[in-house]
Amino acid sequence: MGNDDTPAIRTRGLTKRYRGTDALVDLDLDVGPGEVVGYLGPNGAGKTTTVRLLLGLIRATSGTAEVFGLDCRRDAVAAHRRLAYVGGDTSLWPGLTGAETLHLLGRVQGRVDDAYRDELVERFDFDPGVKVRAYSKGNRQKLVLIAALMTRADLLVLDEPTAGLDPLMERAFRLSVREASDRGQTVFLSSHILSEVEALCDRVGILRGGRLVEMGTLAELRHLSALTVEVTFVGAVPDLSTVPGVTSVAVDGPVVRCQVHGPVEALLRVLADAGVSALLSREPSLEELFLARYGGDTGPDPTVAGDTDDAA
Amino acid sequence: MPPEWSGSTARATRSPGTVVAWRTTRAATRSGAVWGAVFAASVISAAVSYTTLYTSPASRRSLAAAYGSNHATTALFGPAPNLDTVAGFTAFKVGMSLMLLGAVWGLLTGTRLLRGEEDQGRWELLLSGGTTPRRATAQALVGLAAGVVVLWVLTAAGTVVAGRRATVGIAAGSACYFALAMVATAAVFVGVGAVSGQLAATRRQAAAWSATALGVSYAVRMVADAGVGLHGLVWASPLGWVEELGALTTPRPLALLPVASLTVVLAGVAVELAGRRDIGSGLVADRSAARPRVGLLSGAAGLAVRLTRPTVLGWWGAIALSGLLYGLVARSAGSTVTGSSVHEVFTRLGATGSGAEAVLGICFLVLAVLVAFVAAGQLTAARGEESSGRLDNLLTRPLSPVAWLGGRLGIAVLVLVVAGVLAGVSAWLGAASQHAGVRVGAVVLAGLNLVPPALVVLGLGVLVLGLAPRATSVVVYGYLAWSLLVVVVGGIGSTSHWVLDTSVFHHMAASPAVPVDWGANAVMVAVAAGLAGVGAVAFRRRDLAVA
Repeated sequence: MGNDDTPAIRTRGLTKRYRGTDALVDLDLDVGPGEVVGYLGPNGAGKTTTVRLLLGLIRATSGTAEVFGLDCRRDAVAAHRRLAYVGGDTSLWPGLTGAETLHLLGRVQGRVDDAYRDELVERFDFDPGVKVRAYSKGNRQKLVLIAALMTRADLLVLDEPTAGLDPLMERAFRLSVREASDRGQTVFLSSHILSEVEALCDRVGILRGGRLVEMGTLAELRHLSALTVEVTFVGAVPDLSTVPGVTSVAVDGPVVRCQVHGPVEALLRVLADAGVSALLSREPSLEELFLARYGGDTGPDPTVAGDTDDAA
Repeated sequence: MPPEWSGSTARATRSPGTVVAWRTTRAATRSGAVWGAVFAASVISAAVSYTTLYTSPASRRSLAAAYGSNHATTALFGPAPNLDTVAGFTAFKVGMSLMLLGAVWGLLTGTRLLRGEEDQGRWELLLSGGTTPRRATAQALVGLAAGVVVLWVLTAAGTVVAGRRATVGIAAGSACYFALAMVATAAVFVGVGAVSGQLAATRRQAAAWSATALGVSYAVRMVADAGVGLHGLVWASPLGWVEELGALTTPRPLALLPVASLTVVLAGVAVELAGRRDIGSGLVADRSAARPRVGLLSGAAGLAVRLTRPTVLGWWGAIALSGLLYGLVARSAGSTVTGSSVHEVFTRLGATGSGAEAVLGICFLVLAVLVAFVAAGQLTAARGEESSGRLDNLLTRPLSPVAWLGGRLGIAVLVLVVAGVLAGVSAWLGAASQHAGVRVGAVVLAGLNLVPPALVVLGLGVLVLGLAPRATSVVVYGYLAWSLLVVVVGGIGSTSHWVLDTSVFHHMAASPAVPVDWGANAVMVAVAAGLAGVGAVAFRRRDLAVA
């Protein structure tokens, strides 16, 4: 649709200040058409502020924000024709049923793929005949998700979209995002569920204290962080702490755990000379990257490794 | 954990055991103070205006003769003994309206503080912590009782102040007893609101049920006082008990017994029921499944119609009914006015019509207040959409903030115009049925004449919505209360013009007693449009403000 090379999202120097506190500072963000971009950060880092700026619900203190080349505030109506938004804590009209809400939101949006809506209702196992008042939080979230996905909008702006969903529905959500991506829709996914971002996103931005501190593909981000290596020696345990790039050495009998920053060549040379019976190396998970970013000066702790261990 | 990861800091200013009591006390006493001021001003105004309007014993006797045995007015406003005394007149003049206002205050405050707070999720944290639903409800009732006490203190103070005048002469003891009678319905209907808050699915439903209970009480008392030999029915209605208290006329303190017992029983029942239901839902099951009705849901304006329809229909009904009642009594009331000093005042102001039209001129001020309340309600409902975050669902779609606001305002204006027409037409119907000799054109125009002040309230609301959204409700209702207070107190006659000018009702001609002042109306409409315009621009430029 439209100019294929117009960025889906483009911000320059985007800043939002509330009474002296910086909610968002100098954000330069580019999301290309068709990309799936994750946006990570702890509570209060500025994720929702970014999303509300992109939606034109609040005014930027300075800087610009565009969606498909349209100013997010001045041309909000035109921009909204091309996007759909899901919030994590959406208030709906308690007296309307699910079906009524979907009808209303579809009419206001002006564009609905009816067949896809029915498919989504099925997929999310959603009962539209109940009043919003009687829905659980998870069901309300399903409703908001279906309302956004059924529009097949060019850009999906998702702010913690799976809050309150159970693992089955989380899977349905991931399927839907992949579908959208396969159709060429752009997805901007703000989340703090790291496995979700890891599973879905091409690129990831990490926000801290209102500033974008990292932006890149997962592979690029991994290179910024350490590789975790666990070696079991046959004979004498050599001193690895003097090897260039190696830190956090922990010796437990014949087993040594350490972290390697940068090239692993020097470590390999030392290991080749010692007798090694087993060698495990693991790339950091997104969780470790994230904790490394926020966990102060201590490096990632191998014990928090998630379900992404890869033997090397 | 680094500091930015730690959760929000807990503000443990009060012990968790009493926090509900504190919160409700604060809210209820505040609201009790505002309404108490209105109560006090009404009492003072009634007492003082009697002493200035009916100066001679002869004029007082003729008033008593006209009303004392008039079944129509007795049915509507209660019995009117001792109209030839200041105390008797004051009790009659303000009695029924304060009784009803107190009941409305009680049921609104009761349902809002007990159920509204809960529906907004404000109790969940407390209940998961140090307290139980029963204890929280009991605490909220204590807070509400404090609100009733404040209402009583201010009403009593106003009556004592009025009573100290030599021309009025009401003893302090009688004044306090009278104030007790005036807030008795407030206490009873706090209880009614508390109980229906346990039964109904939502706060709104609870308020509607309580209002129905009030309507039934009024109707029962009306039949009892209609002079058809059913006076015993007066004991079947809380409003009847208050009547039987005989404040300022023939005191019967024994009638306090049913008032107090019912209040205590209702409070007890509310506490008991609170422990039997789930948070956020009533004991009477709500119809949670419903067939979709999408007729109105094709856009934001249709949604606004659907959301405000029950409230608007209720207001329209109340306004039409009030208009009808005023019309019905206009003739008999008008016959006492003709030739009196009241009529003289209107004639001097340019009144051309009958005594009945002069009476309607005064009554329409009450209708103007009701129509202005509708305007305030429409505006706060719009703000509610924003503060609850529900507006996000619309404004993140292709709908501009100004288009949304414009739609809401368009609907509000339509609602107000219909309200005005209903007021005029129903008052004419009532008056015509009694052959009161009122002109249909004059009365219908008088109905439309109620709209411009309401538009000013609406415009002011939009301005505040644009500039200081979180203050919308406080400012709009505060200004309404102020305007009402100024015209009520202004009736005493010693108020400066500068103060009178701040009341929007002061700028409305007392039609149909006097011709509609089109110039003033044009100015009011222009002011309203100007305020709304500035407000809309500010609204477009500001951030969306979720509470």
